[in-house]
Amino acid sequence: MSRFFRSGDDSSSESSSEEEELYSEEEEEEEEQEEESEEEDDDDDEDESEEESSSDEEGGKKSGAARFLRGDDSESEESDDDAPKTLKSAKDKQFAELESIIDTIEKRQKINDWGAVSVEFDKLNRQAAKISERGRTPKLYIKALVELEDAMNETISKQKVTPKKMNATSARGLNAVKQKIKKLKQDYQSQVDAYREDPLDFLASDEEEEAPAPKPKKAKADVYADQVEEDQEGFATVGKGGKTLQFTPESIFKHLRAILESRGKKNTDRVEQIKIMEKLLEVAATPYQQIKVLLTLVSARFDLGSGGTASMPLEHWKAAEKEISTLFEVLESNREYIVIENAEEWDDDEKPPTLQPGEKYIKIPGSIVSYVERLDDELTRSLQSIDPHTSEYIERLTDEGSLYNVIFRGLLYYETLAKDTSLQTPQDSLNRIVMRRLEHVYFKPAQVVKILEENAWKPVPADVESTITPRGSISDATSLLNVLCNYLFVNSEGIIRARAMLCQIYFLALHDEYYKARDMMLMSHLQETIGSFDVQTQILYNRTLVQVGLCAFRKGLVYEAQNTLQEICGSGRQKELLAQGVMIQRYAQVSPEQERLEKQRQLPFHMHINLELLECVYLTCSMLLEIPLLAQTGSSPDIKKRVISKTYRRMLEYHERQIFTGPPENTRDHVMQASRALAAGEWKKATNFIHSIKIWDLMPNTEEIKTMLSKQIQEEGLRTYLFTYAPYYDTLAISTLSSMFELEDRKVSAIVSKMISHEELAAALDQVTSTVIFRKGVELSRLQSLALTLSDKAAQLIETNERTLEQRTQGTANAFDRRGGQNQRGGRGAGQRTGRGGTRTGGTGQRQAGGTQFTGGVLSGAVRT
Amino acid sequence: MAEYDLLPKLIGHLDRHLVFPLLEFAAGQLPEDADDAAVLAITKAKYELLKTTNMTDFVGNLKAELEGLDQPPAEFNDKRQKVISRLEQFEESTSKLVDLLGREDVVGNLRSDKVANLEFLKNEHGVTIEMVNALYDFGNFQYSCGNYAAAADLLYQFRVLSTDNDKVAAATWGKFASEILTTNWEGSVEELNKVKENIDTKLFNNPLAQLSQRTWLIHWALFPLFNDDRTRDTLLDLFFSPAYINTIQTSCPWILRYLTAAVITGRSRARNSGQYQKQLKDIIRIVKQEAYEYSDPVTDFVRALYIDFDFEEAQRQLSLAEEILRSDFFLFSTADVFVDAARHLISESYCKIHARIDIKDLSARLGLGEDEGEKWIVNLIRDTRVDAKIDYKEGTVVMNHPPSSVYQQVIERTKGGFFRTQVLSAAVAR
Repeated sequence: MSRFFRSGDDSSSESSSEEEELYSEEEEEEEEQEEESEEEDDDDDEDESEEESSSDEEGGKKSGAARFLRGDDSESEESDDDAPKTLKSAKDKQFAELESIIDTIEKRQKINDWGAVSVEFDKLNRQAAKISERGRTPKLYIKALVELEDAMNETISKQKVTPKKMNATSARGLNAVKQKIKKLKQDYQSQVDAYREDPLDFLASDEEEEAPAPKPKKAKADVYADQVEEDQEGFATVGKGGKTLQFTPESIFKHLRAILESRGKKNTDRVEQIKIMEKLLEVAATPYQQIKVLLTLVSARFDLGSGGTASMPLEHWKAAEKEISTLFEVLESNREYIVIENAEEWDDDEKPPTLQPGEKYIKIPGSIVSYVERLDDELTRSLQSIDPHTSEYIERLTDEGSLYNVIFRGLLYYETLAKDTSLQTPQDSLNRIVMRRLEHVYFKPAQVVKILEENAWKPVPADVESTITPRGSISDATSLLNVLCNYLFVNSEGIIRARAMLCQIYFLALHDEYYKARDMMLMSHLQETIGSFDVQTQILYNRTLVQVGLCAFRKGLVYEAQNTLQEICGSGRQKELLAQGVMIQRYAQVSPEQERLEKQRQLPFHMHINLELLECVYLTCSMLLEIPLLAQTGSSPDIKKRVISKTYRRMLEYHERQIFTGPPENTRDHVMQASRALAAGEWKKATNFIHSIKIWDLMPNTEEIKTMLSKQIQEEGLRTYLFTYAPYYDTLAISTLSSMFELEDRKVSAIVSKMISHEELAAALDQVTSTVIFRKGVELSRLQSLALTLSDKAAQLIETNERTLEQRTQGTANAFDRRGGQNQRGGRGAGQRTGRGGTRTGGTGQRQAGGTQFTGGVLSGAVRT
Repeated sequence: MAEYDLLPKLIGHLDRHLVFPLLEFAAGQLPEDADDAAVLAITKAKYELLKTTNMTDFVGNLKAELEGLDQPPAEFNDKRQKVISRLEQFEESTSKLVDLLGREDVVGNLRSDKVANLEFLKNEHGVTIEMVNALYDFGNFQYSCGNYAAAADLLYQFRVLSTDNDKVAAATWGKFASEILTTNWEGSVEELNKVKENIDTKLFNNPLAQLSQRTWLIHWALFPLFNDDRTRDTLLDLFFSPAYINTIQTSCPWILRYLTAAVITGRSRARNSGQYQKQLKDIIRIVKQEAYEYSDPVTDFVRALYIDFDFEEAQRQLSLAEEILRSDFFLFSTADVFVDAARHLISESYCKIHARIDIKDLSARLGLGEDEGEKWIVNLIRDTRVDAKIDYKEGTVVMNHPPSSVYQQVIERTKGGFFRTQVLSAAVAR
């Protein structure tokens, strides 16, 4: 009944005009509001599932009864009304009121009418609150509270024995009272304790004793949170009869269980729980307790960071890192305890599990690998959110060292588990942790890795040995990488394996092992399947591709470098493809969800590949390839226009359209001006422009790279010169050319020979006088060149048709065997390295550098998803 | 020259019986006045190589030679006895089957179906599967004794009857080796094709095994490649097929030397120059690709001539390559042909680029005397119908490079079009 009662009460107080007449003073109104909200709180606590609307409705119907019942309520309020005027009498009045309520409660309680008790108790609380507002909490109230609590506990325990005794209303009332008491008890904890110590003394003690003012009202949600928490805590404490020492080794499991149960629920105060657990950890005595507490504590800490995009607070991360390390230490010193994913939960809180005869281990459920992974992810997340140009970032980055240690310890731990085959440690966990380790190593220079490794080994006890990477045997980073990757190649599959491969290629490329990296890239066949991998892996693939391209550039392999970088840099979306920044979408089609995902994918700054350097390399390579090509096609405009890099062409055109060109400011300007100089045959100027680009300093061996570049510019300059000016010469002395381009005679004649041999230049060498003789009359008429184009197109058409047919029939129609070679290679080839040689060049045959390229950033996948 | 010696690399991919001729050749290569130590080292290598085989007499002699004894040690006598007794044992166990297979009426009844054959022999003549397997063991034993012809016969007979795929594959390899060792080149190429088929069909889902078996096959194929001209074309085609080129690039780039040499020396033999040009183009491409992994004077020659267009370097590499060829078991017989063909290539490419050449200079480039050089050029002009004239007074050759006519180009490009379209439409219609 209490429910209807109160809801009626609510609605009438809200809406009735009578009331407004009654309480005209503002003060009262405030008071009432307070009441209301309090009532509402109680309401919610009592029965959340009950719908607000229905209760209102019912309240409306029952208004008659409500009004009647309300009378007594409002009376009390009316008496409050008088209070401020005559303080003394009012106080007495209030106390009298209080006493009478307590009386009623006692009576009701005796006949077990908890529904009524609940109503009365509400009144009591209101009354008490009013009194305490004026100074202190009435002792009577405390006494009533304690007595009621005792009675309640008694009833509850009775009820447990005979469950059928209570009717629904009473049960609900009892429940409500229980909840309220718990809440109040927190507020008046000290007084309650004092009363329990010595009831008489408490009551008799000085009236002036300062009672703590009741807590100011909190927001609704907070109150609830507290309550829930108190729920559990209170349960434990009450049982022990209100002892001040809450945490004993015996009670640890109870606390833990309570915390575990509240996990994931709304409005759980995690920070509070963590504090409790920290205390629990201090009192934990046995390894089992320690492990249990640590496991729960670490996951609770991770819960802190799980909401939204915010990363885990720094101090909690550090604490978690420490706790995981402690966990490893505990586990290492107590070998009989193991934490393993597939263990069964131990349900008995009273006694810890003991070693069963015939069993080797005490298994505790938990997953170390996911803790380690989580710790890693949290660090990445926090690095993502910190501005990389601040010292904070660097400070945060130093934590990577300790994180690496944790990963390493985790790996050691799993290795020890894996040694015992009876445990059936899933290979997957081991793979995951090895992968994590690899991911912290692969993008770093060898020296850094070495330091990292040394630090990782330091805290490890001397008797612990790693089977995958034995102590001391892995001296340099290259072999470490090799060992880790090989381990993953052998033991894993799918994405982890692909990632391991990419990591190794990245590392090789970073350390100037171009051919090895390229061969691995080709042999991995990843470019065919990468589209089906997840975005993270695709990003890694793009990064690797770029790194291989940069490596080729450092080796002076301009053609290969350009080819490799083409897909990524030519797209103009480097940032996105490498996950180093979000592109501003011109047409805002991305949902916030997508944007959030994109942000999550971003790499922390220290892993970035310098985009400006990348652009610089790409443009320089494009220049070296495009300028001679432009010169070649420029002299005979009807040759099919072949474009190597559209991006570069566009920039060049834009640059040429400019009316006034100032001195170069950025990298792009430098390259563009160098291009123009090169096109005009002024190779020295071009070299100067290129050399004055500052960003080369970021490359190791800057000088070597500059020499390589000037050599390339000289050669390409010569070629460009010959293409551009050939029509204006009859003969040209080799020696003139060699002095013009400061190249050896031999080199010049080699270049000219090459051009003649490839039929790029209509000329011949005269050995006797060492001159180049240009042939005349090779220019084609319009009709002739068109005829050539037509024949080319026809040939292409046939070729395409054949290929299509072959694809359709999957090469079963052996119609083209007679043509030999060319086409067969395109379609078939069951060989090991089809990516190499044959297939790549298949069909075209004319491509000069043949077979050594691979292209394809994973454009679509990485961008769209 | 030692750095270019491929023997250690080759040995790993050859059967011990096949290595023996190589060692023998190495022994023959030693200069007359070589010290005993070197001779002894090779003898020791031979001994180590063959000591697990059943060629007891020979091994015994080697041992005696090694230790300076007159007589082979006594243990070899025992071994010999054992081998002979086993031989007899095998002969006995297989005699019936061998007899049967020798009889006209039995062989006449055999069909192409192996299972049916076995059934037939079982029903009619009481042949068991054990007897068939005994054939295999006996063949193996004979091979081990160095009795290759007999081994080949036995393995052939075994293969006709057996249905055990693994053993058949092994028998095919065995027969391949036997054919090589009995210098029956045609037979060996036949076997080679069988092995190749086997690799392609049986192992298609095991890339690693495919790779290693192909590597073996390539190495073994060197024997017929350089010893028999008739098989050369098919073998070169095999080497240039994508699967095998990939194998060479992946696991044994040193084969490029042999491949290059084979291509270059094939110049005069090639039936049509188109194929030769194509092979040359392929080999240039591969040499370029693999330059970072493998290079020796032979490949460097190709590189200098066709990639760098450095004729001086090409000349230098040619003389180095000649030396190498003369000390290589497979190539020593082709050294002269190689040098000749290489000179042709140099002059061809030289003439293509130059309009006027000093005869003296060219002769030097080719490593010839002046008169010899002149003769060479005259021959060249005659053979290859280069449009060139010798200006005797100036001592030069004047080349005339007519620009290729545009019309000719158009005709060239569209020539095959009709035929190809026909083939295409035929294929679609099917």
